[in-house]
Amino acid sequence: MRNFLRVSMRRSLSLTVLWSAGAVFAASASAQSLSHFPDPVFHDGFNGLNAVGTANISATDAARFLAQTTFGPTDADISTLRTLGYQAWLNQQFAATPTYETTDLPGKTNSAYLNWVANVLKEQLGQNNRQEAWFLGALGGPDPQHPTQNSYNHTDQLRQRVAFALSEILVISDQNATLSGYPQGMAWMYDLLVKDAFGNYRTLLDDVTLSPAMGVYLNMMGNQRVNSAMNIHPDENYAREINQLFSIGLVMLNLDGTPQLSGGNPIPTYTQSTITNFAHVFTGWNWSDCDANGNDNFQGCGPDQGGTGNPPYGVNFLTPMVAYDQTNAVMIAQCNGQPQPCTVPSYHDNGTNLPDDIQNKQLLSYPSAASGGLLGPGGTAASDLKFALDNIYNHPNVGPFIAKQLIMRLVTSNPSPAYVARVATVFNANRSSATQLQAVVQAILLDPEARYGQWQNSSTFGKLREPLLTVTHFWRAMHAVHSCGANIAAAGTPGSNNYSPPTSYANQPYRYAGYSTAWSTGQTTTYSVGVTQAAQDALTVFNFFKPSFMPPGEMTTDRLLGPEFQIQTDSVIASSDNTYASYAYNFDTSDTCDEIPTDRGFDPFGDVKINHAQDLALAGSGKGGLSDPSDRLIAAYNARFMSGQMSPYMYAQLKSYLDTIDSSWANGSQDWRLQRIYRALYLILSAPEYQIQK
Amino acid sequence: MRPDRRKFIHDTICAALGGAGLYSALGNLQLLQAAVRANYSFPDYKALICVFLYGGNDSFNTVVPYNTTAFNSFYGTNGVRPALALTQSQMNNTVLNAPASGTGSPGDGNTYALNPAMAPQPITGTTNVSADFTTTFNAGNAAIVANVGTLVAPVTQSEYQNGNPALPPQLYSHADQEAYWQASPPTNQPVTGWGGRIADLVAGANNSNAPVITGLNGQDAFMRGQVVNGYIMNANSASTINLLQGNSGPLTCAAAANAYDSGAAEAFCNLMSSGTQANVLERTFAGTMNHSIATANLINTAINGAPAFTAANQFPAALSTGYDLDVQLQTVAQLIWAANQGNTGITRQIFFVTTGGYDTHGDELATHGAPGNPGVLSLLSRSLAGFYNALNSVGLASKATAFTCSDFGRTMTSNNGGTDHGWGSHQFVVGGAVQGKKFYGNGCSFTADTNYGVVMPSLTNPTQLPNVYNASPNLNDSGDGIGRIIPTTSVDQYAATLAQWFGLSASDIGLIFPNLSNFSNPANYLGFMG
Repeated sequence: MRNFLRVSMRRSLSLTVLWSAGAVFAASASAQSLSHFPDPVFHDGFNGLNAVGTANISATDAARFLAQTTFGPTDADISTLRTLGYQAWLNQQFAATPTYETTDLPGKTNSAYLNWVANVLKEQLGQNNRQEAWFLGALGGPDPQHPTQNSYNHTDQLRQRVAFALSEILVISDQNATLSGYPQGMAWMYDLLVKDAFGNYRTLLDDVTLSPAMGVYLNMMGNQRVNSAMNIHPDENYAREINQLFSIGLVMLNLDGTPQLSGGNPIPTYTQSTITNFAHVFTGWNWSDCDANGNDNFQGCGPDQGGTGNPPYGVNFLTPMVAYDQTNAVMIAQCNGQPQPCTVPSYHDNGTNLPDDIQNKQLLSYPSAASGGLLGPGGTAASDLKFALDNIYNHPNVGPFIAKQLIMRLVTSNPSPAYVARVATVFNANRSSATQLQAVVQAILLDPEARYGQWQNSSTFGKLREPLLTVTHFWRAMHAVHSCGANIAAAGTPGSNNYSPPTSYANQPYRYAGYSTAWSTGQTTTYSVGVTQAAQDALTVFNFFKPSFMPPGEMTTDRLLGPEFQIQTDSVIASSDNTYASYAYNFDTSDTCDEIPTDRGFDPFGDVKINHAQDLALAGSGKGGLSDPSDRLIAAYNARFMSGQMSPYMYAQLKSYLDTIDSSWANGSQDWRLQRIYRALYLILSAPEYQIQK
Repeated sequence: MRPDRRKFIHDTICAALGGAGLYSALGNLQLLQAAVRANYSFPDYKALICVFLYGGNDSFNTVVPYNTTAFNSFYGTNGVRPALALTQSQMNNTVLNAPASGTGSPGDGNTYALNPAMAPQPITGTTNVSADFTTTFNAGNAAIVANVGTLVAPVTQSEYQNGNPALPPQLYSHADQEAYWQASPPTNQPVTGWGGRIADLVAGANNSNAPVITGLNGQDAFMRGQVVNGYIMNANSASTINLLQGNSGPLTCAAAANAYDSGAAEAFCNLMSSGTQANVLERTFAGTMNHSIATANLINTAINGAPAFTAANQFPAALSTGYDLDVQLQTVAQLIWAANQGNTGITRQIFFVTTGGYDTHGDELATHGAPGNPGVLSLLSRSLAGFYNALNSVGLASKATAFTCSDFGRTMTSNNGGTDHGWGSHQFVVGGAVQGKKFYGNGCSFTADTNYGVVMPSLTNPTQLPNVYNASPNLNDSGDGIGRIIPTTSVDQYAATLAQWFGLSASDIGLIFPNLSNFSNPANYLGFMG
């Protein structure tokens, strides 16, 4: 963070002071009596899910659908959706080539962003690069390796949006001390979420469970059976969270997501004993390069094969964990006073080495559970894991538990039970389908409540936009690109301590880098700057916010959920707003670059910027003021940012102020209309009506 | 000065009570009525500071056995924790000089020390060393409350294993046990925290717009009252709306016309204005923004006028990681200082500061820290001691009591590199009003019932594995034989002792902690506040 606020403040203050004399407040008295609900004038009706064509799908309905399915509508997306219709647009999205952060497409070496950065540009990967890779998928558009070839464009918006939602359920974070050093390892797990976003949830559970990043984050990596002499027990972290957070939750649910009650009380899904038994199952797994000596005792392994490479990129993070349970190993370290060498079992508890093993492991018990959820002795680590994950996946809670959270991430914080039940039914009907989540996502988006809910429940429908998604929305809607930045050659000897890798940010419009812009989104730990959110950057496994969070006050009284409010605290709401302000007023592509092209210590990364002048024609055609009013600009931004849901009250507020801006506000040679654009953007991004995606 | 403040609160509550059926949605009716009745006024200033250690601190690696016999039976071969052993000599500088026996002793005849990570640390670039908690404790300004945890009622080992005792729901789960520690109990929906419930009752005693309860690192249940809602600021400041600053300082909507861009400020404020949002989520967003704007200036003015508290034994800059516990407590010290300058009208305040990194499933020893390699316990030690020293330097130490809380303790057994989620744990209480240099809790020579535990229960009955799950556990402190220690002192007793010092009546305390009466034997209150 290089004096970001100070710089942006200096710019904005100098400008605003200059024009303060010309700014006259002129709210009309009649505005006070205008409706605060979305204006039906801007909504010309929803013509059904099978509607196709611009005559049948309004621009505002298209924008609203895209707010739920993308990282923010663009004018081009709105046009495409209207032409194709909802179903064809979804089909196109389901088929779009996935954007991966570090997984190359078949036959295309280094096609993934991080691989290009590491292997071609020879940069040293950091978490900043992982955020760049994330923004490439989230913002979509041209690929930095092929900036002028449309066939390489990233168009998988819906897949990326669902993957991001999954990353807030199946959480890992670079706040973890180990993972912070291995951005590629985290990216590899994110790629699994991207890969499985339209796949099967059981497959996803398998992939995530065995991903080394998750293994490190929740301690299944290297988990070992009981060693009574050392008073060692299997760790329960993964056993607990895969049940509590990734699949079934704490209490038995009805199909509609409401808790089942017994005597008025919720019914727990499991006991501590269940977790202990799962923990014993989740033993015996480790890095893929352990035990070259032939003994299954977790020796000689780690993130890097043989510990070579400088810097260590953690290549073993890019291979699933492996089970070590076949060799009846000689384990000197565990002989504990017995004559050496002694023979002891492997680190996996398969129920046969009593008394330390649990012979019969009681996992989740529910009516349809295979074998009543009882795992007998004699399996392998892999077969025991399969039994355990099947046991979890087949629990009837998984459908409503996951369905409701995906609805909350995409559509509304308080879906009706019937809506949850409809989606959970689709989840269950597709349990063995390879495209289960595709069916679930479609069911979420084409549900009548997703499409009509803003009219059915206009006073409670919607969700607070996640601050990171406000940023992506702004950047997509305004066609942001990266600019400035420097190319600085490598210095020193590769592999030695004096080595400085190159930077390669100059003239890279699609490397979304920058201390002041892209990475400042991730200031989760400081609160005073940025929007406190970045991909895979939550403080704990409980994500940035808990799905059960109720904001204090009226929403608590009404028992309404508002998870995203948990990070919009008194201070963060102001610092987020300041971030939006700096994006709205500053960071223009025409700004002079301030990098020193030879100084790697002085921000060689550039920033993400927009061309504010793209909307000059909307902002006015003459000299401004009342005779050259701002209606076209407000209407365009209403569609682009608010899906046409701006209330007459808000419209009047914006208009009465923006109409005061005229050519006397020009700042030197700058077009006066920029001042309307800055302020329209800022006031919309700040507005409660925008902040709630409805 | 807000002479109508109490009336405002009264009216707010009465309006809520007047709504048909609303009281059930608002939670505890009796408490609401108590808040209406509450007529507290105080001649002095007091502050409570909750220091929440997210993740579940392994307090059995924080307060550790020191005398050789105890040390060996804990860390030695066939001991409790051979796989996570400390070195005895490293703790020569952190020995706790509590009474050897009787009241205030650890209760088992052993000597305890703090984790060596809590010893004074050199301050980079100077010849000074940092403040440390051992010194604060041994000077009589801090106490240790042993084996506290979430409890509905006392539970013995045999009851846990064989009976069907009333237990806090979802033991060993982070989210649920954090909620229980902060709400105690979290059964009344919507969940309110005990910090918030105390604040509800004392809010009327303040004649000021300063928040009665303030969080410095995000919000959580502790701060949530039925009426009062806490203010959440940054670690060292309150964010203001930069762009709409006015000629006379940060934006206030009452003076939007004074902003540099007054038209933008007025439009902004009109969009936030109460009553202009049709959707409840929009109203909630606007309400948060208005709360932010209304309070930020007050906070920043207080901080900017206060001493920096950067002496070597307070919060020298070298200690700071930027936004963590030390900076938060430094800011709290500044806010307490400001509240005590002249007639501010502020008599009671509650602060909620938090830190993380305590969920030590792996790398526990390094995470906790070691001499020369500071970890989370080093930060805790410096921060608590620095906070005491800062307030002591301005004569306010006896007006503030800081106390730690954490999700849960951790297992006595290990997984080789770390420990798992447990239950009971030890907590620290710091301040000039604390009857320090002592251990407290049921069972620390308070009671004859040894089933109710001592500081390090497993020392007297070391965990004798191997047969962990199939034979009867033989620990008298652990429910399941792997060292999830059953608490012997409840969160309610711990909190009630603090509430009593804060000046609440016994009957109000009973309303705030409905399960407190289950612990009347030996005592509802623990005595560490005199």
